[in-house]
Amino acid sequence: MAPLLELRNITKQFPGVLADDRVSLTVEAGQIHALLGENGAGKSTLMHILYGLYRADAGEILLEGQPLQLHSPADAIAHGIGMIHQDFMLIPRFSVVENVVIGLQEGGPQLDLRSAAVRLSDLARQYGLAVDPEARVEHLSVGVQQRVEILKLLYRHARLLILDEPTGVLTPQETEGLFAVLRRLAAQGHAVLLITHKLHEVIDVADQVTVLRDGRVIGSLPARQSSARQLARMMVGREVTLRVDKPAQQTGPPLLQITDLRVRGDNGQPKVRGVTLTVHGGEILGLAGVDGNGQSELAEALMGLRPVEAGQVTLAKKDLTRHSPAARRASHLGYIPADRRQVGSIGPLSIAYNAVLGTLRRYTTWGGLFLNQGQIDRHARHLVNEFDVRTPSIHFEAGKLSGGNLQKVVLGRELLARPTALVVEQPTRGLDVGATEYVHRQLLAERSRGAALLLISAELEEILALSDRIAVLYQGEIMGVLTAGTQDPNSQIELLGLMMAGSPLASLSNLHTPGRSDGPHG
Amino acid sequence: MELSQIFTAAFVVTWLAAALGLAGPVLLASLGEIFGERSGVLNIGIEGTMLLGALASFLVTFYTGSPWLGLTGALATGVLVALLLAWMYVTVRASQVVVGIVFNTLALGLASYGYRLAMGGQTQVQKIPMFGPVYLPGLSDLPALGPILFEHSVMFYLTAALVLAAGYLLYRTRFGLNLRAVGENPRAADTAGISVVRMRYAGVLFSGATAGMAGAYLVLAQLGIFRDNIIAGRGFIALAIVIFGRWNPYLAAAAAVIFGIADALQLSLQIFQLDLPAQLLLSLPYLLTILAMSGLLGRSLSPTALMTPYTKD
Repeated sequence: MAPLLELRNITKQFPGVLADDRVSLTVEAGQIHALLGENGAGKSTLMHILYGLYRADAGEILLEGQPLQLHSPADAIAHGIGMIHQDFMLIPRFSVVENVVIGLQEGGPQLDLRSAAVRLSDLARQYGLAVDPEARVEHLSVGVQQRVEILKLLYRHARLLILDEPTGVLTPQETEGLFAVLRRLAAQGHAVLLITHKLHEVIDVADQVTVLRDGRVIGSLPARQSSARQLARMMVGREVTLRVDKPAQQTGPPLLQITDLRVRGDNGQPKVRGVTLTVHGGEILGLAGVDGNGQSELAEALMGLRPVEAGQVTLAKKDLTRHSPAARRASHLGYIPADRRQVGSIGPLSIAYNAVLGTLRRYTTWGGLFLNQGQIDRHARHLVNEFDVRTPSIHFEAGKLSGGNLQKVVLGRELLARPTALVVEQPTRGLDVGATEYVHRQLLAERSRGAALLLISAELEEILALSDRIAVLYQGEIMGVLTAGTQDPNSQIELLGLMMAGSPLASLSNLHTPGRSDGPHG
Repeated sequence: MELSQIFTAAFVVTWLAAALGLAGPVLLASLGEIFGERSGVLNIGIEGTMLLGALASFLVTFYTGSPWLGLTGALATGVLVALLLAWMYVTVRASQVVVGIVFNTLALGLASYGYRLAMGGQTQVQKIPMFGPVYLPGLSDLPALGPILFEHSVMFYLTAALVLAAGYLLYRTRFGLNLRAVGENPRAADTAGISVVRMRYAGVLFSGATAGMAGAYLVLAQLGIFRDNIIAGRGFIALAIVIFGRWNPYLAAAAAVIFGIADALQLSLQIFQLDLPAQLLLSLPYLLTILAMSGLLGRSLSPTALMTPYTKD
């Protein structure tokens, strides 16, 4: 019997880039197939072709041996190919059942939500995806929203489910739940194509893995016969160190102190609800948590980008709570924002101007009236050399740099200012392994220099690799603070996962006692 | 004069009847606008569309003698104009606010020129045949309720029927669900196989159709003449009613009636020569709108993707 899906020599050229180069891939029914690759390896392009968003320049798609032409997502779904995007395609204000039936043609012009809800509940039971059809999506947790996405595809009779980086927003326990669902789907004859850059996920859940690098298939092998080290080598093209060396060191005095901080979100609802944290010199305090639990609001409030409702922020005993962003920067509080393109840099400006953003006053003559171009260029050249920014010139538009190179510009600007404390938000999101390693080394170097680092990241692995202590934020509150590496890694991950899902550390004390940090004031 | 002398039963009946009459045209215009905005397009151009609809209904009725043909002409004009606007809003993805405002100014000049071109020879104001009040045996004879609800023109009942039709279409059909989905999250709608462009064109065409008919309402059921300032901001009031009515046809009907009550009161009180400034009463619906938008009367959430043009990638 022909495989459910076969891609043959798919090639897609974009101006200046060969995104996919003769990619071939076979997915069998009942199989979980992982597509592994770094950002820019050609995974997304391939998926967009498979989902009817792009047309391949060459090659063919075969569904059960029959050649297939896909012109739109509607086409793909009509052939049983469904996709779950990284950011969910759900409408928060609609109910679950409304979200499931949008765009469907069957059943005439009249909307029959009641019988749709019945069918949905049947499907949910069949696959063990409990969800209330009448609930509004905005009231559901991210993990449940993902279930709604899966149900949406099953409702449309999808036989092949494509999941694009599905675990990025999940707690470890939610991830386990998702994997269980995927295994059940495969057992019932569906095929799952899992796009990921996380090695352990591949080994945990996939049957077969295909590794993509620079638009080419490097190899395809049964996941059980592979190791993380081998897959990493195939993905990156060289030996990679999966662990960063974190030298032991004495922590210094408390530098960044956050006391009972309360901040409201965009819609006026409380997003940070009484956070108290202390970051010492020479220490990285990791702040773990599922995206959207108040991390961005906390970072923005620390930098003066969002008003503080109550509480205090001090840096080296100086109260900064009501200071402007400029005053905070002048007091040596550095910031690496999550969104390097919209917040961390000004795209249309050159690298040189981006290198002096926020400190421009130092590069002026006549009391700030004119720019000292020579001095700006010298500083920018220094940054580009020091931080290994690959660019044709310092006058190149910053927005045209790759993510990794742009992050080096942002990192360089902040680190060259020698910050006392540094707020770092999702520093490696969307970066390849090489750039990630580089960023991690630089952050550890700052720690050795004696700076206090607050590392906010949704990547638990990153938090675990870099942090001296780990705090978990859930719905704007600190669930507890752990000292890293005081118990075995698995129980630590389990503990963090439970905290990320809303259990305070204090309530989990029967699970573990050693390694517990010195209370919320840490 | 004492207020108790003014607020007699007869006055209240006349007042409420007038209120419903005045609410009619703005409600009709707001019904289509709800569809436009629910699909994600703010069509400010309904003020100008109403004006062109009013002119079309006047001219067609003037030359044919049939208000029904006049209404059809206004509807066709509204749809045609909306096609142009939809092209600017959806296909060109121009700024919806700028296009709407510029179009309103253009319509002002066009209507004025068109009227003079067609009626140039006439020096005095021309009257045309109108829709008279419909007599409903039994209902129209009811005390109080009869004069308030059942002595209106056919346009009023058409509008009332359209409120129900709009509510049904928006909440009980696949089309309505898909249209609302496009206004909330066009990317999600697109991936679900809904054509964002088609839905948004539909929304704008609806708003043009009802705006054109609302212009005809003023000419054919209330004034019987055309003049350049005949709309006098009623298109903007319709926009306010959409917000005040929370993008819901039924609530919009209630909002329009509140507006009509304030408007009718203001007109009647002018007759009584009170010391009360009429303008203050006239500002009531606008004040309510500002209150509604400020969140003081409870949260009113606009469609999430309102005024956001959609591009694939």
